[in-house]
Amino acid sequence: MSLSKKVILIGHFGVGKSSLVQRFVHQKFSDQYITTIGVKIDKKVVQVDGFDVTMIIWDIAGEDSQKKVPVSYRLGAHGALYVFDLSRPSTYENLQSELDYLNQVIPGIPVQILANKMDLVNDTEREDILDSLSLEEVLETSAKTGLHVEEAFQRLAKKMV
Amino acid sequence: MSKAVGFEKLKEILLEQDREDRNELAQKLEELDQQLNDKEKLEERVNPILTDQEGALKKNFSGLFGPQITESIKKQIKESQDEVVEVLYPIIGRMIKKYITSEIEKLSEKVDAQMELAFSWEGWKLRIKAWVSGTPQKDMVLSNLIEPKIEEIYVIERNSGILIGSYSKKESLDGDMVAGMLTAIKAFVEDAFSADAQELESIDYENYKVIIKSFKSFFISVVCSGGMSTAFKDKLDDQLLSFAEKVLIKAKDGEEAEASQELISSGLEEHFNAFDDVTE
Repeated sequence: MSLSKKVILIGHFGVGKSSLVQRFVHQKFSDQYITTIGVKIDKKVVQVDGFDVTMIIWDIAGEDSQKKVPVSYRLGAHGALYVFDLSRPSTYENLQSELDYLNQVIPGIPVQILANKMDLVNDTEREDILDSLSLEEVLETSAKTGLHVEEAFQRLAKKMV
Repeated sequence: MSKAVGFEKLKEILLEQDREDRNELAQKLEELDQQLNDKEKLEERVNPILTDQEGALKKNFSGLFGPQITESIKKQIKESQDEVVEVLYPIIGRMIKKYITSEIEKLSEKVDAQMELAFSWEGWKLRIKAWVSGTPQKDMVLSNLIEPKIEEIYVIERNSGILIGSYSKKESLDGDMVAGMLTAIKAFVEDAFSADAQELESIDYENYKVIIKSFKSFFISVVCSGGMSTAFKDKLDDQLLSFAEKVLIKAKDGEEAEASQELISSGLEEHFNAFDDVTE
């Protein structure tokens, strides 16, 4: 049994969204598309509970606010990965309001939050940041080392099925 | 007269000519020095010579340097053939394609003009056919000369860009990703340029055209090659509408998504496999 799901990858500019996709899939289209039309499509099939889930990943150009992302790119999304950079406070300072806005424009879809670039901060800093955010189910990732990248997509796929 | 005075007198008589020559030489040297060090005077003397030389060089340049330049270019091309081919091939290839397409279009116009004048049976037949079908005569000739063909068809869910069926005559890129990119491009163009729910209807790319037909919950992208005639477009429109009516709606009612996708893909094949053979 197979399913196709649209996944949007969002977050500020330079948080490592494209690098996470690069880690997760063998890319076929050039990153140039992001600078040209603001999005690039990638695909990866994962197995979840006996289902072949085809994740069509919309890697959307980074914006400091979700309000700036074209509405049409979010339409019909079955799930979202919200990425922030642990080493740059500006990328998670307004995280709660960004998530509220996302829930308002695409209600009911599962959102997996990823705290990326964990290789750039030490354990104490990381714990402090995550405590201050007080969010459930934040997954710490590193596109550089590949840590938890596969798991992040798997977790979202499971929530979407 | 003393001996010394006499000697001086003799010297004066004997060397008078030399002294005059020396003075004249000194004067000439001074004039020459002035000419060399005075920019204006030097230009006055040298410019006419340079102008003459420049004219002569221009006149004889190809004769003087042509063989060496030609030899050097030949050598460079010979030594870097791969690079030259790599640079020239795409440009020349496209130019040839565009030239041929444009020439065929011109030819079809000429044929049309000729047929209007001709009273042959073929001319009348084509004219009657064009009149009955409502297709311009030149379109019919053009479509006969460079037949339009359906290369690929993608049926795509409108908002998500998920591929719900596809048909292709050749090995193509991953359909899921093409469907996503087409949706993104469509969304980008419509967001950027349209007002009041206007929609992107086609994308032109060299000799290919992507025709987009939008429905309520999905859209169909048809990749075509060749010369697009009005008859072909009409026929394609009819087929797409009939396909949407018969296959898509039926498939949408199905319970299983996979079964729907299979049904749509096989429906596409059934509907469009023989399409190019019956365009007329």
